[in-house]
Amino acid sequence: MNGMGKWVSRGILWLFLLIIALFTVFPVLMTILGSFKSNLELASGATIWPKEWHFSNYAEAWKQANFSTYTWNSLFVSVASTVGTLIVASMAGYVVDRRNFIGKRFFVVMQASTMFISIGAVVLRPQFELMVDIRLNQSLWGVVFILISAHATTFFILMGFFKAIPRDVDEAAMIDGCSFMGIYWRMILPLLKPGLGVTALFAFRNAWNEYILPLVFTMNTPKLQTLTVGLTNLRYGSGAAMQTHLMMAGACLSMLPILVVYFFANRSFMQVTAGSVKG
Amino acid sequence: MRMKWRVHVENYGFLLPSFLLTAVLGIYPIFWAMRYMFYDYKGYGDMIYIGFDNFTRLWGDELFWEAVRNTIVYAGGKIAITIPLSLIIAVILDRGLKGRNFLRALYFMPTVISTAVIAVVFFIIFNSYNGLLNQFLLKNRLISGAIDWLGPDYAMLTVIILAVWGAIGNYMLLFLAGLQSIPGDLYESAEIDGASAIQKFWKITVPMLGPVMQMIIMLAITVSLKGYESIMVLTEGGPVGKTEVMYLYVYKLLFPVSTGSAMIQEIGYGSAVGFATAIIVGVITGFYFMLSRRLNKIY
Repeated sequence: MNGMGKWVSRGILWLFLLIIALFTVFPVLMTILGSFKSNLELASGATIWPKEWHFSNYAEAWKQANFSTYTWNSLFVSVASTVGTLIVASMAGYVVDRRNFIGKRFFVVMQASTMFISIGAVVLRPQFELMVDIRLNQSLWGVVFILISAHATTFFILMGFFKAIPRDVDEAAMIDGCSFMGIYWRMILPLLKPGLGVTALFAFRNAWNEYILPLVFTMNTPKLQTLTVGLTNLRYGSGAAMQTHLMMAGACLSMLPILVVYFFANRSFMQVTAGSVKG
Repeated sequence: MRMKWRVHVENYGFLLPSFLLTAVLGIYPIFWAMRYMFYDYKGYGDMIYIGFDNFTRLWGDELFWEAVRNTIVYAGGKIAITIPLSLIIAVILDRGLKGRNFLRALYFMPTVISTAVIAVVFFIIFNSYNGLLNQFLLKNRLISGAIDWLGPDYAMLTVIILAVWGAIGNYMLLFLAGLQSIPGDLYESAEIDGASAIQKFWKITVPMLGPVMQMIIMLAITVSLKGYESIMVLTEGGPVGKTEVMYLYVYKLLFPVSTGSAMIQEIGYGSAVGFATAIIVGVITGFYFMLSRRLNKIY
């Protein structure tokens, strides 16, 4: 290939990559910039860069539009369900990997089946009724338990990490008189840290971004709504006009924490996704 | 003997939290729905056993079949754009470009952002009257009148664009992982034979990627058929049902989308539709699996 042709083809490749990059960044950038514009400026729509920087949008969203409550609720749901998911899945993974017992196959098949059968929102109905029965519908614990119950993916990812921990570790600790619980807590969990780290990222992201579940559970309890629910409800506007500036500030508040996490841990995020193909 | 008993307690004790949660909150609701799909139940009052009446009703339910058609258009459109684009990006990035890691992280970023939140942002950007996109296009005289992006003609396209935005990075990464398994000397020997980049792509990359590609497309099909969150936020299935998809229809039968939503909750019928939808998704995926296996044998 001659020099000229090479430059042209390389230029086309870079142009293509650039267009996709712009397409990817554009909505996020518009949210960040838009969160500093006045409602009027957003409604007239024509600017990209804010004419004046309205930092007060955030104060207004935080106080008047209840985003402080939403943020706290989101944090609670995400942290509690992440911790719960890791504990429940790692305990189950430990026994399934290290021990033999009746019903092991059944248990694994049951876990796998929850990943593949989807009848949509139908399941939320009995879940909700169950939570009403045990009176967990007046707090976010109901949402947390349901999020933890969907731990099959975490379970299977952790199984891979368990296999990498040599069984000699267990045996040596057992000879030293360590109990089953003690081995799990003092030997296995510290060695499982890389696996726990990546699965924690995923569990946290899923809980933080969850929408339908908290929407259904907090329809009649606005003070329990999470960021996603509170934000989407702003679409209907309060009174006459849509408060676009608050929507933008709110969208920013719900995006930024996860983007910060992603900035520091993007390799771990990608590692798990890529791992699902390599098997 | 005592030892044995203790081992059992340890085993099942460790398994118990996982088993209980999965059984009660994962499996039980499915059986619950299996029971209700034979009943006429609106969430209050009596539940009346009606046998297979819900399924005969489903057969003649125009709204549902419209939703099935919409789902196929939505999933088809999303896959037809996402898969080629993400494959091309992956192939380019796989060649050890400068700034490769940065671009990869950038393209993957949408996968960590909430679908509901970004749908709100798209709702603002694509707004017909004062949305950013229309204002921009009008100002630069790329269009003469405002385009009704969320109107009957364009709503499906807008919804697909949003879906593509969220999906490209994910499939790019899956393809990148798949590309690692292609031995490099294949390309080297092709280069010696004077093959062009395009020839290498069609003669080596695509065939060698066969099994991985089959799996990725299958994943894309199931995920796209199931997605309804972003549509619910962006258009609520409207206008006039143009973007109504199967699982959104199921949702609407069981819960109100917004306060003052017109649809009446129908738990019995909704359960039946949920099951029918799961079966349709299963049949489409199974059909693809058979077809792609046959295609794979050609290579």
